[in-house]
Amino acid sequence: MISMGTITISMLLLGSFMLLSVNLNNWLKEWGEGLTMSVYLEDGIDEKDKQNIEKKLLNIQGADIKGFISKEQAMIHLKESLGAQSGLLDGLKMNPLPSSFELVFKEVDDPGIDPRQIKGSLEEMEGVDEVQYSEQWIERFEGVMFVFRVVGFIIGGLLCIAVLFITANTIKLAIYSRRDEIEIYKLVGATDSFIKIPFLIEGAIQGILSGLAAFIILFFVYLVFSEKTVHLLGLPVIEIAFLSFKNALFVVLLSLSLGFTGALIAIGRFFKA
Amino acid sequence: MIQIYRLSKSFGTNIVLDNIGLRIRRGEFVFITGPSGAGKTTFLRLIFGSERPASGQILINGINLTRIRKPNLDLLRRKIGFVFQDFKLLNNKTVYQNVALALEVTGERPTIIRKKVHQALRAVNLAKKQKAYPLQLSGGEQQRVAIARAIINDPLILIADEPTGNLDPDITREIILLFRSINLRGTTVVIATHSRELLRDTGQRIIALNQGKITEEIRE
Repeated sequence: MISMGTITISMLLLGSFMLLSVNLNNWLKEWGEGLTMSVYLEDGIDEKDKQNIEKKLLNIQGADIKGFISKEQAMIHLKESLGAQSGLLDGLKMNPLPSSFELVFKEVDDPGIDPRQIKGSLEEMEGVDEVQYSEQWIERFEGVMFVFRVVGFIIGGLLCIAVLFITANTIKLAIYSRRDEIEIYKLVGATDSFIKIPFLIEGAIQGILSGLAAFIILFFVYLVFSEKTVHLLGLPVIEIAFLSFKNALFVVLLSLSLGFTGALIAIGRFFKA
Repeated sequence: MIQIYRLSKSFGTNIVLDNIGLRIRRGEFVFITGPSGAGKTTFLRLIFGSERPASGQILINGINLTRIRKPNLDLLRRKIGFVFQDFKLLNNKTVYQNVALALEVTGERPTIIRKKVHQALRAVNLAKKQKAYPLQLSGGEQQRVAIARAIINDPLILIADEPTGNLDPDITREIILLFRSINLRGTTVVIATHSRELLRDTGQRIIALNQGKITEEIRE
């Protein structure tokens, strides 16, 4: 019972960390949706080239066309942004601004998306004058995602090692409390595997039950802090996601393997001693 | 049955057994005696294979214990019954379950286990107490449960370490009679004791140990 409680608490810690990671990842992805790319077209582009470019843009993985900005619309936008100083543009005899397609990327951290490569291939197309996107923004986003992944990997790894250590020691205590029983089994000629297997099964069962218990507790904690409750309390609505089925299965299976491995380490140490 | 050649054992600098040579024939009843610290328990543990000698050879039924591999030792132990002064029973299991344990580890079928447990409990006159727990029994009864567990596999050798150390004289006599009846069925019995009372008029072979050496041997 004590070992199950300990494994449950450990898995709860690990599950909470996963939940935090999932949500941070979601928020970062939302932030990542801010990447836009402007594809400026040459003046006097013919309709066929424009259609080819549009077709090419529609085929880019993870990107959507946010809109087409004509030369006239571009001028209106510029005037709006200049505000009181827009009169400066009145003296222009012709509109120097190019028309453009605006692209928006949904998942910038998708390894299949490479803005540099997209920019290069688009600029080779007939009718495309220039392609612009914020490289600095991309680099910052990629940097944040990299740090997030490395930190997540380190913390997750350390937590796993801690859980394994706690599980092994808890099961070791359970084994020590039954050392008289083990001694008697040895006295009557039980083989090592006859003695070890029940402890390994027990470790695995404890692991899976602890994983399920941690999952259920985590779910209730999530419900308490989920959108509705936050909303009821009059706090600003925060979108909090729960673990996906895959992640939940991962928590339970990880718990099972930690319980089993912990028992394996503990019983190994006991028999060595 | 048991052949021992130049057997020595020490724990650190403390020499517990020193160059012991001994032969115990099949079906013999032998007492190992001597004062506390003479090496009696270590001697029994060496025969049982739970200690390794520093030097020398131990042969049990022709099998050399100093060269035996762990899985084979487990199998050999099923042919050696061991009875302790403190009984070594599992208090959370019934008398029946304690005795059945020695057969369960061999993978024996439940019907055979049931039959043999009843036979063993009848042999030690405890058939009516099979559902009791060890702590509900007297010391003598607990020792009889331990003996039933030790004989259930029809062992070649029955080893007992101070089996009557915790028992009063009447019960002691009863337990020794039980060992004799087991011995009469062909099992070699080796009992370690420091009780002079137990050895008086025994008529059995007695081997006296002192400071790790055989100091005296009385044959029946």
